[in-house]
Amino acid sequence: MVTGKDIVKIAKLAKLRVKDEETERLARDMSEIICFADTINNAVEDSEEEFDGIAGIVNAFHEDITVESFNRDDILKNREGGENGMFVIKKHFSNR
Amino acid sequence: MTWELVAGLETHVELSTKTKIFCRCTTQFGGEPNTHCCPVCIGLPGTLPKLNRAVVEYAVKAGLATNCKISNISKMDRKNYVYPDLPKAYQISQYDKPICRHGFITLSSGKNINIERIHIEEDAGKLIHERGNTFIDYNRGGVPLIEIVSEPDLRSIDEAVEYIDKLRLIMKYTGVSDVKMQEGSLRCDVNISVRKKGSKSLGTRTEIKNMNSVNFIAKAMEYEFNRQIDIIESGGEIEQETRRYNSDLNITESMRGKEDATDYRYFREPDLVTLTISEDEINKYKSELPELPDVKLQRFINEFELPEADAQLLVKYKRVAEYFEEAAKDVKNKKLTANFILGPIFRRLDTESEKEECRISISPEYLNELVILVENKKINFNMARTALGQMLDTGKPVMEVISENEMAGIDEDDLRKICKNAVETNENAVKQYLSGKEKALAAIIGFIMKETKGKADAALATEMVKQLIANR
Amino acid sequence: MSDIKYIQNLLGTKQLSCVELTRKYLNAIEKENKLLNAYVKITDQEALRTAEQVDDRISRGEKLMPLEGIPMSLKDNIVTKDIETTCCSRMLKGFVPIYDATVWDVLKKQNAVLLGKTNMDEFAMGSSCETSCFGGALNPHNTKHVAGGSSGGAASSVSGNIAVYGLGSDTGGSVRQPASFCGLVGMKPTYGAVSRYGLIAYASSLDQVGLIASDVEDAAIIYDSIALYDPKDATSRGAGTTSSDKLDKSIKGMRIGIAREYFDGIDGDIQKSIENAVKVYEDSGAEIVYFSLPQIKYVLPVYYIIACAEASSNLGRYDGIRYGYRTESYSDIDDMICRTRSEGFGEEVKKRIMLGTYVLSAGYYDAYYKKAQKLRGSIVKAFRDAFGLCDVMLAPTVPTTAFELNFTSRDPVETYLTDICTVSANIAGLPALSIPCGFDSKGLPVGMQLIGNSFEDYKVLNAAYQYEQQMKEKIYKKLERGVRI
Repeated sequence: MVTGKDIVKIAKLAKLRVKDEETERLARDMSEIICFADTINNAVEDSEEEFDGIAGIVNAFHEDITVESFNRDDILKNREGGENGMFVIKKHFSNR
Repeated sequence: MTWELVAGLETHVELSTKTKIFCRCTTQFGGEPNTHCCPVCIGLPGTLPKLNRAVVEYAVKAGLATNCKISNISKMDRKNYVYPDLPKAYQISQYDKPICRHGFITLSSGKNINIERIHIEEDAGKLIHERGNTFIDYNRGGVPLIEIVSEPDLRSIDEAVEYIDKLRLIMKYTGVSDVKMQEGSLRCDVNISVRKKGSKSLGTRTEIKNMNSVNFIAKAMEYEFNRQIDIIESGGEIEQETRRYNSDLNITESMRGKEDATDYRYFREPDLVTLTISEDEINKYKSELPELPDVKLQRFINEFELPEADAQLLVKYKRVAEYFEEAAKDVKNKKLTANFILGPIFRRLDTESEKEECRISISPEYLNELVILVENKKINFNMARTALGQMLDTGKPVMEVISENEMAGIDEDDLRKICKNAVETNENAVKQYLSGKEKALAAIIGFIMKETKGKADAALATEMVKQLIANR
Repeated sequence: MSDIKYIQNLLGTKQLSCVELTRKYLNAIEKENKLLNAYVKITDQEALRTAEQVDDRISRGEKLMPLEGIPMSLKDNIVTKDIETTCCSRMLKGFVPIYDATVWDVLKKQNAVLLGKTNMDEFAMGSSCETSCFGGALNPHNTKHVAGGSSGGAASSVSGNIAVYGLGSDTGGSVRQPASFCGLVGMKPTYGAVSRYGLIAYASSLDQVGLIASDVEDAAIIYDSIALYDPKDATSRGAGTTSSDKLDKSIKGMRIGIAREYFDGIDGDIQKSIENAVKVYEDSGAEIVYFSLPQIKYVLPVYYIIACAEASSNLGRYDGIRYGYRTESYSDIDDMICRTRSEGFGEEVKKRIMLGTYVLSAGYYDAYYKKAQKLRGSIVKAFRDAFGLCDVMLAPTVPTTAFELNFTSRDPVETYLTDICTVSANIAGLPALSIPCGFDSKGLPVGMQLIGNSFEDYKVLNAAYQYEQQMKEKIYKKLERGVRI
């Protein structure tokens, strides 16, 4: 079903680090869940149309009139080390 | 063995709406980093997008101007990938139900370059790499874009350049974007492959991403075309990959390998609702479109009888075309008006942007007055040229310039008197002319011009003198 | 009388000041929270400040707004400006929002007294509150059992009498299940009735802010205040009509629908309690309609596929760049992001992200996500047809009563199966309310669900109220802890 190789590929897409020793266990867990998800294969859907959205609303728009943007201090508030008003990711970082 | 170039362009055009696509921050270019942001466009947890009404209008207009079919029902989708300039780790775009499809742009050769689709999406922030560190400014994040995807119909670099120029012109005319490539409001990705001439199948293509200069696009295409040929001719295979153009070295370089082909996991954006556009709305937008460049060009050529090159040059700059029409109002000799613009006036507009913005120091009404004077022979062509120069330098209307510089033309009756006088005074020249020396006439005309300090209409004077001599 | 009305009466007649009232609650929290772990943050300053404002207004003779002065709690995935909001995840520890969720903004303007942020399963993914990075919340009825999830803290706070009501969120039952476990009224409005702006997203097409209260009238009062159209949420509509003025309507002739499939595998105690409830409705003149809803067989896999898919996308933004946890050492940007996410997220969250990524990935999209969405359409239609046969549906809330602590199962699917009764309301976007209907042999509360048609939330509240009026003491048990007024 879901193999260790799948796990490595999925983890890469999802930007998660999976330790080697974890891949097999994860593969097993995921396989069980996917098996459970597979039960939908037995169902026959009414229509070919993909579900249009539960909201039942169309055309929700905002008007093209500007509103004052947030203060830069607030924008950067949750990340100290914002340099020159920009977010920064240092080349590499070691706390050792 | 002749090789054929096959290319398609994906053009990203920034829409000139006042607000961003999913929030009401300003889209103004420039500004200190991260000062045009809000929780929505930096993707803070808990925030939700809401579509800008004007984006739909602009996208539809762009589609109508490129002969597309507008979708009555369309939706937004999430394109999932992780990159620091993308705050939500997905770009809200359109996947399988774009707002416009199946349009085309006609090149001067009459060939149509087909447009597969136009869809709406949001722009990402800007990354700056410096000393290995990465700095991020999200001002541009959330600015609305339309992506115009052409079919691989381009067969030469010239065609590609013309296509981009045409597309820019059309977008400018519709007003949906200022298409300033140097500010990044129009960027192109080129998909390019080669095949043997006559072959019907397509070769493996590479994509050259994110170029914002027509010059670079042309150079990149040329380099890539040759690079691919070299590879194939030496027995190799083209790797399908993404490349970038290095303008310093004038080469294209590989960006990502094939193993990195990202799976975007597109799915319908659950935070936004379906978009419906009625035929009535589409017609309303259609009626709001200005006259498009191709139509204007034909009208200038057919109705105004302008030579094609002149018409193209006028149409190329929308505001200049509008200026021209104002200036040529009620004028019989439209070509004269055009000449004044394309000659003396354009000579004073050094840069492209000056021409784009039509920075002419006199109003079209003033030029109109001048042309009408020439038409009514109140002032001769040379005088008019000089007067125009004065007008452009001082910004003054023609009558003021003429009286200040004593440039008024000669009345027809007065001219006849002067010609009569000239004929009587230049007996020798007349005799020589009558004995077959055509050039002698020039001396008489020269005399008249000197007498009138150049104000006389030389052609008219020549006619009058000939008549006077004949009637003797 | 409802707790809210009772308290407002005390305040209005100045028998108790709001500050005194608030202090009572804050003291009780200090005493009870160490055990119950209902709150992960206590906002005493904020609470007392608001209480002072309320007393001020009362002294000026101003009329109290519907929820004014009432001490309450907010689930920690509802964004509160300047107050840390963590989703009980390491990933958002220390995250201080710069804006308010719309629901909180509405309540703030009514001078609701915020006592604190409540405990929850990490990012709302779980059914026991035990995936919280702060440890689980306990069930005040029996602290050897969980309060439920994911809004465990909210339920524990109300049931433990250390909040009059709490707002939570419900994606697959996360408000109704804890309410059921803790003997309370828990309601998930129709999708779109309450704004999601500021509710940190788990699964966008399933999430709704929900409420937990001690009785139906309180629930209706709260509902009417928060079920408003919000221009910031494109999927928002508002309730369209009020509910608290319709509670008294007679339910004679109301058709109560019972779908057989909901009752498969339900505990005997629960079965019995619900059968008693059915009798109460019958005796009140309601008509019971039995039918089959075979689509219920698919609601769970459809739910998990869609929920995990949307979650995997919604949680992509947590990369340590703009806020939240960031790993301490990394070699490049990609490494930074991967380490941050792997260290910041707990196991259940990571599992669901992986699952969601899988069902959306090339090669699997058609078989899973696309198919699930199509099935969703069928389920919606099936419910719409069912409401042609009845006015509200009656079902159990959970197949069991509250789980014991450390409810872990080696079988990852077993926990998911307990959501069988609740998820259909999220899938179909329908209003659903859980109300207590008895106790099991251990004395743990049993809950039953009333499910209504789209935007007929008032009918659900009406049906619940009429049942409650008949049953009162038999279904509610005021516990000997917290604030007794």
